[in-house]
Formats: sequence, C-alpha cells, structure tokens
Amino acid sequence: MKLAIREKTDQAAKLLFRMTGLMVIAILAGIFFMLLWNTVAFFLKIKPWDFITGTQWNPSGTPANYGMLPLLVSTSLVTLGAMCIAIPLGIGTASFLSDYAGRKLKSVLKPAIEMLASVPSVAIGFLDIVVLGPGIASITGQSNGLNALNGAVLLAIMSLPTIITVTQDALEGVPNAYKEASYSVGANRWQTLIQVTIPAAAPGILAAVMLGVGRAIGETMTVLMATGNASAFPKGFFHSVRTMTATIAIEMGEVPYQTTHYYALFAIAAVLFLMTLLVNIVGEYFVNKYRKYQAA
Amino acid sequence: MMKYLLCLLIILLVSCSDAGKFIKVKGSDTEVNLAVSLAENFYKEHPDFSVAISGGGSGLGIASLLNGQTDIANSSRPLNAEEIMLLKTKGIPIRTVIFAEDATAFIVHKDFHLDSIDIATLTKVLNGQYKTWKPVTGQDMPISIYGRQSNSGTHSFISKKLKMEFSRDAKEMNGNAQIVEGIKHDRSGIGYVGAGYILNNGTEQPIKVLKIIAKPGSIAVSPLDIKAIAARRYYFQRPLYQFIPLTSWKKVSAFIDFEKSAAGQKIITTSGYYIILK
Amino acid sequence: MMKKLTPIIEWGTLLLTTGLVCFFLLAILWDLISKGSSSLSWAFISTSPSDGMTKGGILPAIIGTVLLTLITALIAAPFGICCAIYLNEYAEDSWLTRIIRASIRNLAGVPSIIYGLFGLALFVQGLQMGTSLLAAGLTLGLLSLPYIIITTEEALRRVPNSMRQAALAVGATQFESIRDVVLPSAIPGMLTGLVLTLSRAAGETAPILFTGVAFYINKPAGYLNQEFMALPYHLYMLSTQHQAIEQVRPLAYGTALVLIIVVFFLNLSAFYIRYQHSKHE
Repeated sequence: MKLAIREKTDQAAKLLFRMTGLMVIAILAGIFFMLLWNTVAFFLKIKPWDFITGTQWNPSGTPANYGMLPLLVSTSLVTLGAMCIAIPLGIGTASFLSDYAGRKLKSVLKPAIEMLASVPSVAIGFLDIVVLGPGIASITGQSNGLNALNGAVLLAIMSLPTIITVTQDALEGVPNAYKEASYSVGANRWQTLIQVTIPAAAPGILAAVMLGVGRAIGETMTVLMATGNASAFPKGFFHSVRTMTATIAIEMGEVPYQTTHYYALFAIAAVLFLMTLLVNIVGEYFVNKYRKYQAA
Repeated sequence: MMKYLLCLLIILLVSCSDAGKFIKVKGSDTEVNLAVSLAENFYKEHPDFSVAISGGGSGLGIASLLNGQTDIANSSRPLNAEEIMLLKTKGIPIRTVIFAEDATAFIVHKDFHLDSIDIATLTKVLNGQYKTWKPVTGQDMPISIYGRQSNSGTHSFISKKLKMEFSRDAKEMNGNAQIVEGIKHDRSGIGYVGAGYILNNGTEQPIKVLKIIAKPGSIAVSPLDIKAIAARRYYFQRPLYQFIPLTSWKKVSAFIDFEKSAAGQKIITTSGYYIILK
Repeated sequence: MMKKLTPIIEWGTLLLTTGLVCFFLLAILWDLISKGSSSLSWAFISTSPSDGMTKGGILPAIIGTVLLTLITALIAAPFGICCAIYLNEYAEDSWLTRIIRASIRNLAGVPSIIYGLFGLALFVQGLQMGTSLLAAGLTLGLLSLPYIIITTEEALRRVPNSMRQAALAVGATQFESIRDVVLPSAIPGMLTGLVLTLSRAAGETAPILFTGVAFYINKPAGYLNQEFMALPYHLYMLSTQHQAIEQVRPLAYGTALVLIIVVFFLNLSAFYIRYQHSKHE
C-alpha cells in the first residue's frame, strides 16, 4: 500500500478514536449535568435547606412535603447494618483466602465469590421474599420481615464480594518481608495476621469498605422488595424503611414530566450521586495512599 | 464476527414494527391482571395486534397519559383537578371508558378476632390514631398497615372515602399481591386490595375479608357479595376507568370493543371484578 | 490447654466467615435449583405465558433479555473500546486525562437507578423514543460503558510497550500498530471484560424499569420501538405484583433459575477466556 494512503488512514483513525473518545466522555459528563440541571429546577421551587432537613416525604399530600431526611436516614441505617455484617465477614474471608487457604482451595473459592457478585439483585430480592424475610420474622419474633434488618442482610450479601476481593488484594500486597520479620520474632500466623498484615493493609481494607458502602447505597431492587418502604421516619432495625433508591424506583414511573415531584426525584438522585462519588473518592484516596505505602 | 454482528444490527434496526397495531396499556395495579387476561384473549381473536401491559399504579397510567407514553391509561380513580388542568394545558383530549367495577376489600389474617368493622374504627386504625388493636379487638398487638404507595389509585380512593390521611407508618408495598402475601403471615396486619386479588372468595388462603359497616346500625356488607355490589351497598366500591387519548382511539377501539363483548365481560367477572349495568 | 485451643479458635473464626460467605452462594443456588428445576422444561422456555400468566412459559422474557443484551453490546462495545483506545494509546498523560479516568471510574460506581433516570430523561422523553426496547438498550449501553472502558484499558495497558515500539520501528503507522499488534494481544482481556459487563447488564432491573420493560406482552417478538418483557423484571413482577403470587411461585422459581443460568453462563465463559489466556502466557 502506498505510504500516503497509510498515513491518511492513520490520521483518520486517530481522528475517529479521538472523536468517539471525547463523545463518550461528553455523554458521561451529560449524566452529571442532567442531574444538576433538574436539581436546580427543583431548588428553584423548594429551598435546599427544607429538602435536606425536612422530616416528611409526602409528595402527593396537601400540601406536598419534600423532606428527604427520612430517606437519607433509611439509606444510612440499612447501609450501616449491612457493613456491620459484611466488614467482619469480608475481612475474615479475605484473610483466610490470602493467608490460610491453599492454592487449590483458592482456585475454587475465588470464582465462587465472583459468582456471588454476579447474582442479579432481583433474584436475591426474590429469595428474600420467599425464604429469608419470613425466616427473619420468625427468628426475631416480628410479625413480618419487611424491615431494615432484612434489607441490611441482603445488602451485606451483595457488597461482600467487592469487600472480599479488594481486601484480599490489599492483604496479598503486604510485602512478605513484614510477615517474615514477624515470624522471626516468634509470632504465629494468627498474631502476624492481626498485628502485622491487617494493620499494614489497613488503607486497602478501608478502600474495600468504601467500595462496599458505595455498592450498598446504590442498590435498588433488593431494598425495594425487602424493606417494606414505609416513608415514616425510621425508628430502628425492626421497622420498615424506605431508602433513596427505592423512592426513586417507586415514584419515577408515576410522575408527570417536569413537575416539582419529577424534579424532586432527580434531586434525590443528585444527592445519591454525590454520596457515591464521595465514597468512591475516599476509597480511591486510600487505594492510592496504600500504593505509595507499598512502594516505599 | 463483525459482519455477523452488523447483520444482526441491521435486522434489529429494520425490525421497527407497525405502530398502528401496537397498543400500550399502562397503569393501575388493581387492573393489571385483568388487563393481562383481556390482552391474552384479545390476541386469540386479533393476532395482528400486539398489546403491552405495564402495571405500577393508577398514577403511572395517568402520568404516562400526560407524558404521551400510553394508548390506554388504566386507573382505579378519576382524574383529579390538577390532572385535568395539565391535560388541558398540554392539549391532550381524552375519552373515558368505565369498563368494570371494583370493590376494595379490607383483609386481615384468618385468625383475626373480628369479622366486620365499622367505618369510624377503620379510619382510626388506618390514620394511626390507634397504635394497637386493643381498642378494637382487645388484643394488645401493634397494628401493621399494609398499603400502597401514595400514587396508587386505591390509596387515594380510600383516603378520600374515609376523609383521612394514612399513618406514615403504613408499609407501602409494590402491589396488591404483596399486600396479600404480607397479611397471610402477619396476625396483626390489615391491608386493602382490589376484589380481584381475593382468589376463590379467600377460602384457600389464610386471610379473612372484613365486612364493612357503613353506618352505625346498618348491616355489614362483604365486598364479595355480588348482590350488594349490584345494589351499590358496599361502602368501598368504585368504577375502574380507562383514559384514552383521542389520537389513539382509532387503534384501541378494537380492544375496547373486545372488553365490551360477551367474551370480554366474562373475563372481567371471572377475574373477580363486577359489571354494573347502567 | 489454652495454648492448644487458641489456634483452633483462630482457625475456626476465619473458616467460619469463609464458610458463611460460601454458604450464601450455595444456599442461593441450592434453593433455586431444588425448587426451580421442576418447572424447567422445553415448553417453559419456548412458549408464551398463558391463562393470565399462571401457566405457560417465559419465551417473550427470554427474547427480550437476549435482544436487550445484544443492543447493550452493540452500543457499549464499539464506543467503549474506541474510548479506551483513545485514552490509552493517543491521549497524553495530563491532568485532564487523569480527571477523565477518575470520572470514568466513579461513573462505574454510580447506582444503576440513576442511569435509569438519565435514560428516561434523555431517550424516552428527550429523544422521543418512548418506552421501548431501544431506549432501554441505550440506557443499559450507557451503564455498561464505564466498565468496558475500564476493562479494555486494563487489557491494553498489559500489552508491553516494547511491542508497540517494535511495530513502529519496522515502519508501521500508529493505527497499524494498534490494529495488528496491540489489539490482537489485548483481545482476550477485552473479551473477558465485555462478557462480564454483559452478564451484569442482563441481570439489571432498575434501569429498564422506566425505560421500556412491560408487565406482559401478548406477542413474543421484540421490536425496537416497542416495549418488551425481560427476565429480571418478569421475576420481580411474578414475586411482587402478580394476582396469585403463591400459585405462580413455581414459575417465579423457574424464571429465577433461567436468569441465573444465563448470567452464570456468561460468567463462566468469561472465566474460560481468562483461563485460556493465562495458559498461553
């Protein structure tokens, strides 16, 4: 082929890749601006302060109330509960995988955990309705299983794979010299794990937790199916709660476009977006810190 | 490989169907299962039509109507003033069809101590004034209300009929069916569902349908009592609406005709709803 | 005595946590398989629902999910791969590209319901596509983009720079070096990422909730401008909305099992590609 043609193709390809690349980035930026735009439209009608601190979410009442505090607290409550379950389990499993399990066992467990990550959330929600929800109700003596605790258990299951994978990477990234030093002064495997490896991998573990939190906050279908969705201010783990994601999922189909209620749901989405963004940024910060730490 | 995918893409792109035979029906969880049965049997007579049904709630249907996303908006409540105004400002003329009658049933667990309830007590139970069943049945159990989301037609129908706002502690379930499921397992629960959700008169499930006493001293009426419904004696009975934008009227008229045919009417009654002769 | 016991307790703790995690997976699988396999049959996957969805199969939902995943792939793969090539091969490492990379990573963590909102605002409403297969497919395509960009870039980064330099040294243009040298050796990694992303997209419910999925449709064929049924939503509907939840529970179990089989099949093929690739290295 002639050089001129080849160079032209090269130029054209470069242009094509650049254009698609920039276009994709523009579209993804568009998501952010769409949220912002609709949120601003909402804040023109409702004061941001009232939105954040209002304790009543009742958009179809007279007068309509747009206070997202109960939703925010519900989301936090369910996520907190999920983390209480998932963090110990996740760190334990990751430690087992990185320090105790043999090669063969690991090659079975790793894909198993990835499989757990890929179970669609609606399938987990379904099993909750049939099996876990009634189970939790009878164990805790409640009349029904549609409460925050139930949601927390499900979210724990869903965020576990993320936590395990990232924690394991962090634990395995701890230089062997650390462990060897610990063994040489007479510490056993457990003491080394608790006193040397885990502290050394702490930033990585924090990053794992953050990613797990992000997963739990954003999960929609399982909480929608499992938590009862009462919009009252949450009173505890045995009460029905309604998370931000569930609120969007419930109400979005039922609002006419460009009404205050419609904008309100985008405002919730914007808060949700900011929360996950914050969690991800913190997570990323710890990952980077951990990398530097390792390099040193 | 790439060529193969490209072929698929082209097939996909070409496969936009004739919009004239495609009907979107949206809204009303109360009516959705009925609509499914109607669509299924309609297809047997008119295989060239494809009908897509989405449930969700009456609010979804009406919102889709306002957003121009539906050909038939099912609703278990009439349009409110704001919606009529919005339809006017958006310039969407509609036709209204009342195709069936529903009786909203209040259900409790099979072992519940009462068989009937009067309107005043029911109001106090639902608006959160009573926190436990003690003043009603004598049992010291907290009341758990199984309801629908605030955009549901049934939800607004009941709060209008009883002139009250629901307790904020009421659970908001995704659909009528989930309410029935909840009540089955919850001895302290009370919920409301469309009559179609009470299967086989409620005899096969561990639930009980409460009879309603409309006025002090009057007799308790069950929502499953066909004669009472026909005489409009049940307190919570209501027409089921279908709102159709005029622009879609031509293509959906075959479906509406089917609803009104003998076969359609039979499906409505076997699905647990009522037909009221005017 | 204590000295002998402690290691057992320590071991036990870790084993217990790991066991619990495995138990979750096994319990999910066991429950689905033991209760769902009885409803699986050829008729179940090859017929439409009948009798008010209390009988019959889930053919329209299967077709819907397959088409939806296909559209997702057709949207996300070319754009995602081009974007990754641009970022990894052409863009220089500046603060701008670093910000772009960070935002793409963050977009991968954005809740799927937000993509659903975006799809509703942009495709359904803005571009007037209505609630349709196309709108839902585009929404899922957008959702998948960040994942595909990230996995593709990772695969590209693993290609040693010496290979690029060697190609350039023998007189290839940059495009030729990408096409003939970089891409072929990155393809297994890219494919693994693509398939994993698609398995995620196939199981998503929230983003299609408002963009086109229907409760029931009386024709199995899917058209781009029409609504469709999908396996995850069908399962959601059978377990929360259907008139006779208890009666259709076998169908719900069957649907869940089919959905899991589809997703796991995609996953396993991704693992297989990865395994084959790691053998070659």
